[in-house]
Amino acid sequence: MDNLIEIKNLTFFRGERMIFDNMSLDVPRGKVTAIMGPSGTGKTTLLRIIGGQLKPDDGVVLVNGKDLCQMSHDELQAFRRNLGMLFQSSALFTDLSVFENVAFPMRVHTNLSEELIRDLVLMKLNAVGLRGARDLAPSELSGGMARRVALARAIALDPDLMMYDEPFTGQDPIAMGMLVDLIRQLNGALGITSLLVSHDIHETVSIADQIYIIAEGKVIGAGSPEELRAGSTPMVKQFMHGDRDGPVPFHYPADDLAFDLLGEG
Amino acid sequence: MSDLLRSIGVRFLDFLSALGRASLLWYRAMAGLPRWGDVALVVKQIYNVGFMSLIIIVLSAFSIGAVLSLQFYTQLARFGAQDATGVGLALVLLRELGPVVTALLFAGRAGSALTAEIGLMKTTEQLSIMEMMGVDPLRRIIAPRIWAGLISLPLLTAIFSMVAVYGGVVVAVNWLGADPGGFWSGMQDGVELWEDLGKGMVKSLVFALLVTWVAVFQGYDAPPTAEGMSMATTQTVVISSVLVLATDFLLTLVFYGDF
Repeated sequence: MDNLIEIKNLTFFRGERMIFDNMSLDVPRGKVTAIMGPSGTGKTTLLRIIGGQLKPDDGVVLVNGKDLCQMSHDELQAFRRNLGMLFQSSALFTDLSVFENVAFPMRVHTNLSEELIRDLVLMKLNAVGLRGARDLAPSELSGGMARRVALARAIALDPDLMMYDEPFTGQDPIAMGMLVDLIRQLNGALGITSLLVSHDIHETVSIADQIYIIAEGKVIGAGSPEELRAGSTPMVKQFMHGDRDGPVPFHYPADDLAFDLLGEG
Repeated sequence: MSDLLRSIGVRFLDFLSALGRASLLWYRAMAGLPRWGDVALVVKQIYNVGFMSLIIIVLSAFSIGAVLSLQFYTQLARFGAQDATGVGLALVLLRELGPVVTALLFAGRAGSALTAEIGLMKTTEQLSIMEMMGVDPLRRIIAPRIWAGLISLPLLTAIFSMVAVYGGVVVAVNWLGADPGGFWSGMQDGVELWEDLGKGMVKSLVFALLVTWVAVFQGYDAPPTAEGMSMATTQTVVISSVLVLATDFLLTLVFYGDF
């Protein structure tokens, strides 16, 4: 099977608002798949659906060919153990040091010896350039550093699937380059399947094998970075070039401005 | 009128749904036996909610014991019954004031802290990422805190009653000059193991359950905003205090009511 995750005809509502409208997409095994789209199109929601935290209103999410919603509690936990997730808000455990944060998944899921855990944690922290920060508390880290610690924690158990939610936001250029390399490396050296949600076009294009652009609940463009850059439809073209004017709306749905300002009377 | 009825109805439904969510939280956190690996987590929480509440418990206990003893002694002395100070003090503390005041202090000191801690963990997505790691936050975060509350509050209640009696002794015997023999023997004769100490401890256990349950639920259910958090911590103290007082009346009725 060459797709680790297949999403078929996904429909999802948040209250009255439709987030996904009969959307389908595949995440091929061993590749870097990127999901791009304007803010508020439900990219994060999609990651939470794949992680099993939100239930789709309709459609199926297949993981290794198994329906996520039909999984037993134990099967879901087993899947999640092989899942690395990087949240937009690092979500470090504030009562634990940097070292203990990275060690956490190892401590709860494995019986490794203390020395082995120490070595593994230091290696993971070294990979994100924060071996020296091991004794700091999460509150002592900058936002960008916290994100990198969270990344080290996410890869602590060498997951099969890594999901990144906006990994580049708030990173300085050096850290950004390091992150791009790291994501690529994890993918190449360990064969990790990566799913990346981002709207940093430049970085995303540089590492993704396959890109989906979603807007208004639908996939509006899919393909390799080159294919998308060629820009088939106006919507894709607008997004890839970051134009303000085009079919993708910049404004949250609202009444006509003049109408709004003049009041309803 | 119909607006009033509607708002009462809405509030009632809100209450029912909160009760449902709270029950579900309890069930999902506490179902199944605790595992050995959880012992360390429970011990850490006993330190946080129990040990850290000791200072306020001891200080309050001493002063409440001292005041009670002063009142008892001066009133009883008018009838020449100052020897009954000891037994009066012990009964009031073991049956009522020990469990109730400790539970109220516990709600203010530990309950609100639990709510704020869990609420912030949820707001900062720490619970969510834990779930994504395949670790159930209800069993890892909520359950040890509930156990710690159930273990700590009865112990704190016992400490409260002991310190309060000591405060009473300091005032009645050492200061006002009551006869220590009468004080202690009255207490020994008048206090029964199950009737007074046992039932008081049962009360304390019930209060522990109520206060910790309210505290963790309020934290877990708090909207992830600043207002939501401040509301939730306030609610914890208000709701659990009211529950403790109301339940105390019911339990006293059941335990000591003469039907």
